[in-house]
Amino acid sequence: MPADFAVAAPVARSAFAARLPRGLTILVTALAVLSPLSLIFYQSFLTAPFFDARKTAGLDAYRFVFADPDFWSAFVNSTVLAVGMTAIAVPLGAVLAFVMERTDLPGKRFVEPIILVPSFVSPMVLAFGYVVAAGPVGFYSVWAQDLFGASPWGIYSIAGMAVIAGLTHVPHVYIYASSALKSLGSDVEEAARIAGASPFRVATTISLPLIAPALLFASVLVFFLGFELFGLPLVLGDPEGHLVLSTYLYKLTNKLGTPSYHLMAAVAICIVAVTFPLVLLQRRLLQNARRYATIKGKAGRMKELPLGRWKWVALLILYAWVFLAVIVPVSGITLRAFVTNWGIGVSLIDAFTLDNFRAVFDEPTHTRAIFNTILIGTVGGAIAVACYTAIGFATHRRYDGWSRFIDYLVLVPRAVPGLLAGLAFLWVFLFFPPLQPLRATLFSMWLAYTVVWLAYGMRLISTSLFQVSTELEEAARTIGASRARISREITLPLIRHGLLGSWLLVFMIFEREYSTGVYLLAPGNEVIGAQLVSLWQGGAIDVVAALSVINILLVGVGLAIALRFGVRLRD
Amino acid sequence: MAELTVDDLHLRYGETPILNGVALTLERGQVVSLLGPSGSGKTTLLRAVAGLESPFQGTIRIGDTVMFDGARAIDIPAERRNLGLVFQSYALWPHKTIFDNVAYGLRLRRMPGADIKIAVTRVLEQLSLGQLGARFPHQLSGGQQQRVALARALVYNPPVILLDEPLSNLDAKLREEARAWLRELIVRLQLSALCVTHDQGEAMAMSDRILLLNNGRIEQQGTPQQMYSDPQTLFVADFMGSNNQLKGSVADVHDGVATLAGDGWQLAGVARAGAASGVPGVAMVRVERARVADAAGPNRLAAKLVTSMYIGDRFEHLFELGQARLRAYGDTPLATGSTHFVELPRDAVWIFRANA
Repeated sequence: MPADFAVAAPVARSAFAARLPRGLTILVTALAVLSPLSLIFYQSFLTAPFFDARKTAGLDAYRFVFADPDFWSAFVNSTVLAVGMTAIAVPLGAVLAFVMERTDLPGKRFVEPIILVPSFVSPMVLAFGYVVAAGPVGFYSVWAQDLFGASPWGIYSIAGMAVIAGLTHVPHVYIYASSALKSLGSDVEEAARIAGASPFRVATTISLPLIAPALLFASVLVFFLGFELFGLPLVLGDPEGHLVLSTYLYKLTNKLGTPSYHLMAAVAICIVAVTFPLVLLQRRLLQNARRYATIKGKAGRMKELPLGRWKWVALLILYAWVFLAVIVPVSGITLRAFVTNWGIGVSLIDAFTLDNFRAVFDEPTHTRAIFNTILIGTVGGAIAVACYTAIGFATHRRYDGWSRFIDYLVLVPRAVPGLLAGLAFLWVFLFFPPLQPLRATLFSMWLAYTVVWLAYGMRLISTSLFQVSTELEEAARTIGASRARISREITLPLIRHGLLGSWLLVFMIFEREYSTGVYLLAPGNEVIGAQLVSLWQGGAIDVVAALSVINILLVGVGLAIALRFGVRLRD
Repeated sequence: MAELTVDDLHLRYGETPILNGVALTLERGQVVSLLGPSGSGKTTLLRAVAGLESPFQGTIRIGDTVMFDGARAIDIPAERRNLGLVFQSYALWPHKTIFDNVAYGLRLRRMPGADIKIAVTRVLEQLSLGQLGARFPHQLSGGQQQRVALARALVYNPPVILLDEPLSNLDAKLREEARAWLRELIVRLQLSALCVTHDQGEAMAMSDRILLLNNGRIEQQGTPQQMYSDPQTLFVADFMGSNNQLKGSVADVHDGVATLAGDGWQLAGVARAGAASGVPGVAMVRVERARVADAAGPNRLAAKLVTSMYIGDRFEHLFELGQARLRAYGDTPLATGSTHFVELPRDAVWIFRANA
């Protein structure tokens, strides 16, 4: 039916104006991602720090590092730790995911958020928690000595660290295993039960083999995270002097007494040389896992598998893990924050005090750290989500070379551990004179955080974007809307709930972050995470405990809001 | 001897009742079909027999063994009921070969490897899958997958085999071949089978007996002929076959013959339960029993032709009679808009009391 009034053709903007926003987004992203890394790369081939007039190009830095036995022992330790924690986290995470996702285990809805806690609490805080809970004079060690006459664990050895790292990385496996199990129809499990398989057989011969691609991906992820570990080995490896790659890097400065940027850069490049292939491998595996998930299809109505007698085994595994990975460290650090001192023969009631918190609030650098941490999580988190969204739109439903470029660009920071990224950004701010005034501001901290978590943030955004059905956008296009208008008026309003959820998750991640700020920390831009690292070096255990509890509370607020509004804590 | 006995079975999801006191028996060598509209509880009943759903009242026995007894709190888990179940989706394990899919149940029963090989090879041969043992499920066609699912359920000789819409994932032509083949196989191997279907043609072709479920109750059960030609309730009459339905009020009932009066027409037919003088009534006639007649007469209704549709082997005529529509088959098209007489033979008309 023709309209009975005249309608003009849709107005098109000039081609240049239409392309400008995307081009600008791609340019800024590329600069923010590539300049720090290029600077590290450049620095690693100099014989002195880049600001030193005597610098020349050369391989001295690599020669020094490769000749240092400490480097090799750190490399071996990192490998052992990565292998050990993978061997612990993957089977445990897979079993927990099966139990939580597919069975009728009582009370599991209530436990689920608790399982994710170790992935939201700063590893630095968890490490402090283990020290004060299970170290030689930790709460649980002392109680165990009172009860059994001995505490048969040593958490300062490489094996001890591997166990702790393994236990606290279970959530990473759990998340991927459980979403793979979700997409698996329950009919294949029922078919196995009809054939006569017990719940244990169903898990080991049907469900877990079927999610093998997801488990393989999770194994590579955890192995990769093993090479990134910083907080745990910094705190737990210190007493017996075990170094891993990241802590070796961190201690280099002290080792030589002079700014040895070229050596640090060489170590950083060595770390990236290990992590970057792992990141590429993860990308491949994830795509495979997704493809595998779709061919199974027919995920009809989910039916929980009755555990029967196996219920008790499942409950024992689940709660033993919750106790070791959540309750021990969190209760340890919390108790420590409320006592003056602790050791054999000290009573909790006599030692009770609030002085630790008073000390935090009496010290302006600490209150500023708390304020800054909240600011970077809320305002900084919102701006970060806005940036991620802009990048998301630059690739959304566009399948050209630039989209692929951004795809890979986003992966780059993923391969750079926070500690290195912080260092690199410090150098960027020193290297480019116009940026120098910003170095000691919260902006430098925010920029580093935003780039470090780029891949994570982009995953949140693209999950939201892909939930918008193509037809909704195509409908707007056929009516005559330009890409920019569709993004602004159709897609953006449709994903606003997803964006709010992303903001909340980014808030929690920014509250938890610690390693990125280590090198950027300066008077004025203190954040709790980095502050904890420097206070720990100074031995201020009382204040560390109190600040840790405040840090847990901040993350906890985010978690509570997320649970209240039903934000999906994982994709 | 009854291989399967279900008695007074009750089941609900939360507050919603799904099964309200279902009873059935399955004799050795018989095929019994559970038929009903979606939501009638037929699949739930099958799954309850398998042990995959939890009833709260009633009993389920396989042979002499009590599998479920609500009163005595007996509920044998699915893996110890030793039944065979063919899933609607087939639920073949995508990571196992066809051989391993079929062998799984025997491995769980700790059969020696050599015997497993013999047993699996035999059942694959029986189901014409002999060459496919080394393949993976996704490399097979739908019909082959369906036979693998059957082989997997049969290989350990369960006393009862349960089939959940076994043919619904096949395309129409294949489905007709498969149901003949399945019926033949079940008879040849002397299997006792309980089969869920929503396709009455399939149920009639395959079964010795049909149980028609409605709202978690068995509405009627009997042989396929009884179900089709002697429906006891309006629901059964309506569910089976394709029908003409006329609403009116029952004018008179005597000697088992009821007369239904509508707006300007009268129809005599077989009085069914509840049909009494003065109550609102419904006349049901199978479409294939309606006939276009050339002159007025008893049980012939004057109706205007709306359209004649060619449906391949014949024409289907659609008439209008006031608000009602009547259908009849014929060999030649009729002139649209003209008035015809549609004869509904007295012995083919059932008159039921209308549902409130």
